[in-house]
Amino acid sequence: MTQFSYIIKEAFNNLGRNLLVVLGAILAVFISLSLTFGSVVIQEVVRVNTIQWAQDVRVIAFLQDDLTPQSTAELQAEVASWPQVNDVFYVSKQDAYAEALVLFSNNQAILRVLDESPDLIPASLRVQPTDPDEYELIVTRLEATPGVLQVESAGDAIDAMIAIRDGLQIVFWLLAVALGVAAVALIANTIHMAIYARREEIEIMRLQGASNWFVRTPFLIEGALEGLIGAALAVTAIVGIHRLLVGQLAEVPDWINLAIENDFLLRQGALVLLFGVLAGLAGSSLSLAVHRTLRS
Amino acid sequence: MIKLENVTKVYGGDTVAIKDVDLEISKGEFVFLVGASGSGKSTLIRLMMREEQPTHGDIWVAGKHASALASWKVPHLRRSIGTVFQDFKLLPTKTVYENVAFAMEVTGKHRSVIRNQVPQVLKLVGLSSKAGRFPRQLSGGEQQRVAIARAFVNRPLILLADEPTGNLDPGTSVPIMRILDRINRTGTTVVMATHDHAIVDAMKRRVVQLDRGRVTRDQSRGVYDTREIAQVPAAKPEPPMQLDVDEPGTEEIDAGDTSVVAEDAVLVDDLEGNEEE
Repeated sequence: MTQFSYIIKEAFNNLGRNLLVVLGAILAVFISLSLTFGSVVIQEVVRVNTIQWAQDVRVIAFLQDDLTPQSTAELQAEVASWPQVNDVFYVSKQDAYAEALVLFSNNQAILRVLDESPDLIPASLRVQPTDPDEYELIVTRLEATPGVLQVESAGDAIDAMIAIRDGLQIVFWLLAVALGVAAVALIANTIHMAIYARREEIEIMRLQGASNWFVRTPFLIEGALEGLIGAALAVTAIVGIHRLLVGQLAEVPDWINLAIENDFLLRQGALVLLFGVLAGLAGSSLSLAVHRTLRS
Repeated sequence: MIKLENVTKVYGGDTVAIKDVDLEISKGEFVFLVGASGSGKSTLIRLMMREEQPTHGDIWVAGKHASALASWKVPHLRRSIGTVFQDFKLLPTKTVYENVAFAMEVTGKHRSVIRNQVPQVLKLVGLSSKAGRFPRQLSGGEQQRVAIARAFVNRPLILLADEPTGNLDPGTSVPIMRILDRINRTGTTVVMATHDHAIVDAMKRRVVQLDRGRVTRDQSRGVYDTREIAQVPAAKPEPPMQLDVDEPGTEEIDAGDTSVVAEDAVLVDDLEGNEEE
């Protein structure tokens, strides 16, 4: 028990000793993980809003309700054989209903209508063109096909949304990785300083036969704490910003659905915290591995 | 207790610190390592505490093959070795009591054991009344006594002392040597590297002399090489040290002695039991 309280006490002592450097490291973790988490949230928003356009679907052909399963299968096979078409997926009424619940999760009126008549949305064929920008011909051919009720193609808005997402993803991830590396290095530096400040104590501990884990654990805890604090700030910031935007919903165009399930935020937030802890452990391990005083 | 077989230590490829040393030290012995600066005394001590690894040869310490010991097992070996240095190595931010207690805390001793043992060992070194002082408030001799208390508080099988009186004036060295002698009488093997002629001559213990990394003399009940004294004209022969003279503080040490010895017997048994595992 003495050992446990000693280790915890030392971990916190070190945090206080180099406050500025520690704050720098926490800031780097915070920015890096904010970008990562922000990116994940944006990706989720785009996914929710473009759920029916996933997997590079650019054209949707809604089918007449009286189509038999057999003629549906024939129709799907025919469309798939067209040279402009890469792939065709069938989406049943049930699937369409589930999709609509996600898509309109921010729109109570539509949700009420769906609740009353779950089979409102027709089944559809989702068409993935060979060339994502060339789908006009597919639209024209589908409109002339019997059994097809209505044809919709991805508008410019959807294309733009997907383009922005893909662009942001790359920039965010690059920044997040670069800052993540910086964060690990900065944590390693704070641990390095903590080891240096305690080098006499460590020397004596080693001479007295303190076990390796006893010497190292306070530093590992310190690194993990720095990572955890940075990650917690990042989660708080992103969730806060998201809440703020949802609160200001009136000013956001109503065709964008910003609602994200709490489950998703919780799950991803927990992952971000775990990531912060891992970054902290990586930083302190790096420092411990490099530091000469700790070698026996 | 300590055995070196054909041990050579070379630094940086060409600096030979220790050359073909064979040495065996039995349990309970008191051994002086003497020799000029750079003769390899400190290197030998560092090899014994496994702070260094030999370039060639084998070393056994406290029943363990130290030179072949995996690095993660080193802490366990260190627990059977107490170490004392010329520069004391006390922590300036901790009091006398805390410095000694620290040695027990870091090896996971229970609080009640610490509370029981630290005052006893402070009594042994005659510093009971200064437990609350910080190292900077103590004289050099007192600081070294704290360091000895710290080295002994875990009741090691072996005490390695590298020039423990090197920073002290001769008068201050007397109580230090009396304490080391007392520790030795509890059955602890003591190896002490020193320059101090007077101490070696007064104690009349085994003397191992090193010259440029080789053992040139190994004598039981020996004295410091008289030839060397003659070479240093400034050094007046000092009056022989009266180690058994009653001085203030001796009584205090004696008072603590019985309990220390009694407990030591048990502790040494414990440690020997561990060795056989």
